[in-house]
Amino acid sequence: MGMGNFVYNNLKKICESLGKHNDALYAVLAIAVFKGVMRPTFTMMDKDSDKETKKYAAFREGLTEAIAFASYILTHKIVLPLCVPIAKRTGASPKKIKNGLSLLSVCLTAGIIIPAVCNLTLKPIMNGVKKFNDKRKGRKPAAGSNVLDIKENAVSEKINVSSVYSPKLSENSRSLLDAVRRNSMQNSTMKVGG
Amino acid sequence: MLVPFVNAITSNTFQTLAQNTDACVKLETTLKAVGRPAFTLVDKHTDKETRKYAATKEFLYQILCLGIYMAIIPPIFKNRGFKLFQKIFKNEQMPAFRSAKQMMAYHHLAYMKPAERTIDKNIKYKNLLKLGDKDGKELTDPKTGKPLLEYLFGSEDKQIKPLEKRIMEKEGKMFDLAKGSIELSSIVGSVIGLTILAPEISHLILHPIMKALHLEGKHEKSADESKKIDKNV
Repeated sequence: MGMGNFVYNNLKKICESLGKHNDALYAVLAIAVFKGVMRPTFTMMDKDSDKETKKYAAFREGLTEAIAFASYILTHKIVLPLCVPIAKRTGASPKKIKNGLSLLSVCLTAGIIIPAVCNLTLKPIMNGVKKFNDKRKGRKPAAGSNVLDIKENAVSEKINVSSVYSPKLSENSRSLLDAVRRNSMQNSTMKVGG
Repeated sequence: MLVPFVNAITSNTFQTLAQNTDACVKLETTLKAVGRPAFTLVDKHTDKETRKYAATKEFLYQILCLGIYMAIIPPIFKNRGFKLFQKIFKNEQMPAFRSAKQMMAYHHLAYMKPAERTIDKNIKYKNLLKLGDKDGKELTDPKTGKPLLEYLFGSEDKQIKPLEKRIMEKEGKMFDLAKGSIELSSIVGSVIGLTILAPEISHLILHPIMKALHLEGKHEKSADESKKIDKNV
């Protein structure tokens, strides 16, 4: 009974609070948090992909949503302090300006800031993580490793390893073969979207 | 420049939009559908064909998400969630709104100045409230027993003036609990819809659409021709 009352009272408080003031930020943050948890979990549960691929894909998905979450919060923190000076200059209600700016900041973040930040940061971070993993496992960074990158919406692609394998083994043949195999793994069975 | 901007963001329409989870999520998904493909197209690290393929796929994915969201969330989560909360909070003296839409109509009108509530474009909200509860009885405030339409439009017979928004807020006549129940149902629905349902459903639909548009085969052909390792999309 005690637990039931606790849940009931908290649910009532949440509903009343949302009824009084519902910020556009709440829904998008909730979506970012759950996507950041659920999508990597689903990726890791995929039995058709190999372990390395799943780890990279899950990390990337989690990272994308972490960037989204941080971007929403940061933009909100930057934009909201503007409501007081704007209210002073225009004489409009600060509460209404705050509501309006909040929705605008969400739109700006979803449409421009998140895709821009992801475009700029995901590739270097993923390459950094890959290099770190290679170093930890004692592998030499493969030639062309700076272009190795996976994306959550990558297309399934089968690379014929035999077509790139040379019977005359050069010094770097082993690392090249590793790179091709790794890349083939990283680019398979990712899901679209974010 | 600043004044028209402030007038726009403080307008009733914008304010109602900002307070409505459903509208915010739709707007966010639409912007994602435009923003993400646009940024994919300008990414110089990838070749042109791959960029086009990725941008189309991302655009279709977000549009599908929006479609799935619009088809599933309002009828299932918003309405059924509101009905569930009406049962949970049955002792909290909420008016017996017949649907979430009817509650939102009341809230939308309450947010306006009394003179704006009677203009033609808002008649649809008044008509929705006139339908009464699910048994067709007039909607009343359980705390006072007064009709809700009287709060919004006053009564010439009883010589009662409509209530201003600030008075309704002060006297608890905005029914925050009912409004909050709808918003919480929408947030839960959005999370389930956009993190579990939409990705899974669109994953099933996306590949046939891409094939029908001759984009999937084209991209694979391009990948084979260039023999490049970096074929991410």
